[in-house]
Amino acid sequence: MVPLSWYLAVAFILIGLGAYGMMVKRNLIRILIGAEIMGNGVSIALAAFAVYSPTFTLTGQALIILMISVAAAHTALALVLMLAYNRRYGSVDLGKPISQEEKLDV
Amino acid sequence: MQGFESAFESVEFLLIAGIVIVLAYLALEHKEIVYAAFFFGIMASFVAGFFLLLEAPFVAGMQIAVYTGGISALIIFGVLLLPRAQDSTLEAIESPRAKKIGILVSGSIMFISAILALRFPWSETIPEGTIDASLDVALLAEWLWGDHGVYVQIVALIMVTALVGVIALMKMDKAELMKDITGEFGIEARPVPEEIEPEPEESPEPEEAPESEKTSEPEASEEVAD
Repeated sequence: MVPLSWYLAVAFILIGLGAYGMMVKRNLIRILIGAEIMGNGVSIALAAFAVYSPTFTLTGQALIILMISVAAAHTALALVLMLAYNRRYGSVDLGKPISQEEKLDV
Repeated sequence: MQGFESAFESVEFLLIAGIVIVLAYLALEHKEIVYAAFFFGIMASFVAGFFLLLEAPFVAGMQIAVYTGGISALIIFGVLLLPRAQDSTLEAIESPRAKKIGILVSGSIMFISAILALRFPWSETIPEGTIDASLDVALLAEWLWGDHGVYVQIVALIMVTALVGVIALMKMDKAELMKDITGEFGIEARPVPEEIEPEPEESPEPEEAPESEKTSEPEASEEVAD
């Protein structure tokens, strides 16, 4: 059987990649994709712990099912917020409100 | 034979891990955001491969159904609804200093946690016992819906609330665009003025008619008399 640490390493690499996407990107859709990649990393870690720990088996799987269900709802909410942002600022650029405020100050 | 199986499983794991990491990177860095959304959907399918390796087939099925079938499709619809999302000039923060800090922080998260995952003695933290790899979906369903059914209902309620909030957000934007909402079921229902005003105009008409009849009647009688 593959060691637990390998699964955790992959999970943490995915979490790091998602964090990179959330911190460096300006496009809101990229940021959402980054958040989803982080969520996938967390669910891999949970699944690995669920299988390798005999007392955590069912709880871990139930938590993953919960995570996947909530991810669907929060993605829908995030997309609607993006649409509202696009109507308000005319762009999905995260730096748009700041640049508009700078223009007003000038 | 068992050694061959474990080696095969390790190769499977390394293959899936490599594909998942490359696809995650492409989902974040590909110039075309539509392709990035597709790469994310494929990545989610390969993550289901991890769940299959961990002998959690129900979770793997749910991962494919929700992530690949639902969330990636939602993101693609979002890209289609937001044509400005395809602007490639939005790809990174303009300030090089902020970008460097972002890369440094995320890289340190990745590096430290991966080292922790590989070096930490996880086996000592897990209580002793046999690894129950033969998971039963019926057992999971009984645990989830039998003992913890109330919590599942609460989660479902929270999700429905979120979705109702989504619909309310969309409707609020539309309501702001409409200035006069008229009609029986409108948000600001008020009577239509055109329907009220004709009522006093209609009432004199029947009163005029008898007068004309009255005037015409003597004429007719005069004609008869003539």
